[in-house]
Amino acid sequence: LSAAARSRIADPSLAPAGEQLIAWVAGHSPVLNQLARGRLADGALRGRRVVVVVHLEAKTAYLATLLAEAGAAVVVAGSNPGTTQDAVCAALVARGIEVHGTHGASPDEFEADLMAAAETAPEIVIDDGAELTSRVLHRRGDLADGLRGVTEETTTGVARLRALEEEGRLTFPAIAANDAWSKHLYDNRYGTGQSTIAAILRLTNLAGAGKEFCVIGYGWVGKGLARYAEGVGGRVTVVDVDPVPALEAYMDGHRVAGLEDALAAADVVITATGSVDALAAGTLAHLKPGAILANAGHHDREIDVDALGPGDEVRPGITRHELDGGRHVYLLAEGRLVNIAGADGHPVEIMDLSFSVQALAAHLLASTDLEPGLHRLPAELDREIARTKLATLGIALPEPRPVDIAVR
Amino acid sequence: VTSLIADPGLAPIGERKIEWAKTWMPVLRLVRDRLREEGSVEGRRIAVILPLEPKTAYLAAMLREAGADVAVAFQGSMVHDDVAAGLAARGVEVFARRGSTREEELRYFEEVLARRPEVVIDDRADVIRLAHTTHPEVLEDLRGASEETTSGVVALRAMEADGTLKVPCIAANDARCKYLFDNRYGSGQSTVFAVLDRTNLLLAGKRFVLVGYGWVGKGIARRARGAGARVVVCEVDPFAALEAFHDGFEVAPLLEACATADVVMTATGVRGSLPPEAIARLPDGVLLANAGGVDDEFDVAALGPGREVRPGVVRYEAGGRSVDVIGGGVVVNLSAGEGHPVEIMDLTFAVQAMSARHLLLHADELEPRVHPLPPEIDEQIARWKLEALGVRIDSLTEEQRRFLRSWEAFA
Repeated sequence: LSAAARSRIADPSLAPAGEQLIAWVAGHSPVLNQLARGRLADGALRGRRVVVVVHLEAKTAYLATLLAEAGAAVVVAGSNPGTTQDAVCAALVARGIEVHGTHGASPDEFEADLMAAAETAPEIVIDDGAELTSRVLHRRGDLADGLRGVTEETTTGVARLRALEEEGRLTFPAIAANDAWSKHLYDNRYGTGQSTIAAILRLTNLAGAGKEFCVIGYGWVGKGLARYAEGVGGRVTVVDVDPVPALEAYMDGHRVAGLEDALAAADVVITATGSVDALAAGTLAHLKPGAILANAGHHDREIDVDALGPGDEVRPGITRHELDGGRHVYLLAEGRLVNIAGADGHPVEIMDLSFSVQALAAHLLASTDLEPGLHRLPAELDREIARTKLATLGIALPEPRPVDIAVR
Repeated sequence: VTSLIADPGLAPIGERKIEWAKTWMPVLRLVRDRLREEGSVEGRRIAVILPLEPKTAYLAAMLREAGADVAVAFQGSMVHDDVAAGLAARGVEVFARRGSTREEELRYFEEVLARRPEVVIDDRADVIRLAHTTHPEVLEDLRGASEETTSGVVALRAMEADGTLKVPCIAANDARCKYLFDNRYGSGQSTVFAVLDRTNLLLAGKRFVLVGYGWVGKGIARRARGAGARVVVCEVDPFAALEAFHDGFEVAPLLEACATADVVMTATGVRGSLPPEAIARLPDGVLLANAGGVDDEFDVAALGPGREVRPGVVRYEAGGRSVDVIGGGVVVNLSAGEGHPVEIMDLTFAVQAMSARHLLLHADELEPRVHPLPPEIDEQIARWKLEALGVRIDSLTEEQRRFLRSWEAFA
């Protein structure tokens, strides 16, 4: 069967539009083009079965393309039906890659797509939110034996893998790609920060200036959100349950408050906890009338969308929900990741770094026999990514002296 | 009511967009109620010449709701056909179609002028100029015009200087409720984010060359910095340049700045702001966009043939280098985005509506010159907006007032 015959996508005729988007990404991905492509060329991935389960848009597609170019048998599935772009899927299939995903897939279709990817018995999985890994372990434990390893994109997914490791169920190596400096310092902070705030402004056509933003969760994502919200003229209140990031937010000059007080003053509420029910049913009563709600965290369940009740679409990507007491609020992108569901996701240059981490991690899994358990990307590879990025920017660093290395 | 639009069937989609804008325009709703109560625009003929998107549509719609006969026209590059249809369904005469030809546009403007408007709300003084040059008969009924843009006000002042201006005009652009917010925060946010939305690129760390540090430039510099860019300002005016310097931006001559640019944005309101020798210096892969009110701030045609590399992004290649132009050189927040944020236009269009009202009530007392919006009206609009935002402020005590009036206090 051809890749096209094995795939489930919406419309193959969209390929030219998707091809254009992938070409644009290729043109702005110097680290993937130089470092990753060079590293993958050694043949370590030749013939390896690799499954990529990441938000299925142009940047992910370009990563999949590079892996296929290096000889891997690549299968791609979306990590969230709301973020899958049909044109990009079509272009990937046209490039001979097997794809399972459609925009707006039903929960059943989504499950079937992920399981179809799992059935290909991958040796290496590039995962997002551990969506595929957890399904393999829960439903097809037999396939875990064939896994050389998993590399995980998100904070949420790494937390899931860590939990599996603690239960003694991580029987294969997993690389916490998210924990590489070249990933979380840039992707989670600047990538999510810029693209989330931009998506909110784009979806609403509203002004950032003078708005009260409430950021729930002050991890790397929350830090980026707060910085970019300020950058568009907003005032930021941070809510966090952990005293350390809460204090960090305070020192960064933000207002820190309890959830109820923060919600009462917020024009825009953004969840970024990586957990569930950050905005739970019981807290909705505190929302200001007309508040805009958006999620920047991995789970569609950070905002309790069911508790909001049915909504009317008042603009593409915006639903209006009536609450008790004649109040109403607006929900963006149905509570899904707003930067991907409502726009094009992270900036290309950021994903150039993140996916270079993924490409080198996949290469490491293919070429080295790692112990089962959770690993981080070796610091030398991490530094090499940063150094390559700097070099493409025309920035050269002084050679470290022995003393610099000694204190590092 | 006869409109010339692309497809009346798009009205429901356009109506929803207009309704969203209305939701976030509390001051304009207040002005509508006031005009309706006092009957000041009842049966009066008003022409609205503005980019046809949801916010302008609500300005036209609220004037209609207040009783005016409203006709709208604009160039096709900035027309949303669904909004045009939605507006027509609200009883406004609309003459606009996306992608209209130059001939059609002339006809659209002529249709509007044929309705013998008493007040024109104009953009870039296009229709006021048309009325003065080829349609002088229109001037008989025209009580005055209110102008939206910096570039249009410049044109009107030139007409006043050489004695050709025949009707009083209000420089709506020069109202503080307009330029302090619209030009700065409105253009600033929407132009920078139009570029980010269209390219899906990162601004953090990029060298962002900004040509022009007027109110628009100031807003762009602030928002670009807010998104992590390193901003370099190019200016010809020493005060503006000094202001940019003290705002913490690097200031450099254009040719030098261009040599290391990642993004170049023009915001001068002057044709040819980016001459060929500057373009020749641009590094490979630079992004180029115009945020100013003049389409020819840089010469897109001179870049040679281009090809679309992403929707809204056209690549021009010469001498082994490429330049990616966003929005075709036409003001980027409208050509490649949805224009200014709604709440900002609430202020701007409150200025326009109050300006139209002022002309209808007081044009007889005004010379055929360029006038400011009376400051007390400007201040009233600011107070309405603060009230709508729930922001309270203080007022001077009688003693403070007395102090300010009595120069002897310094003796």
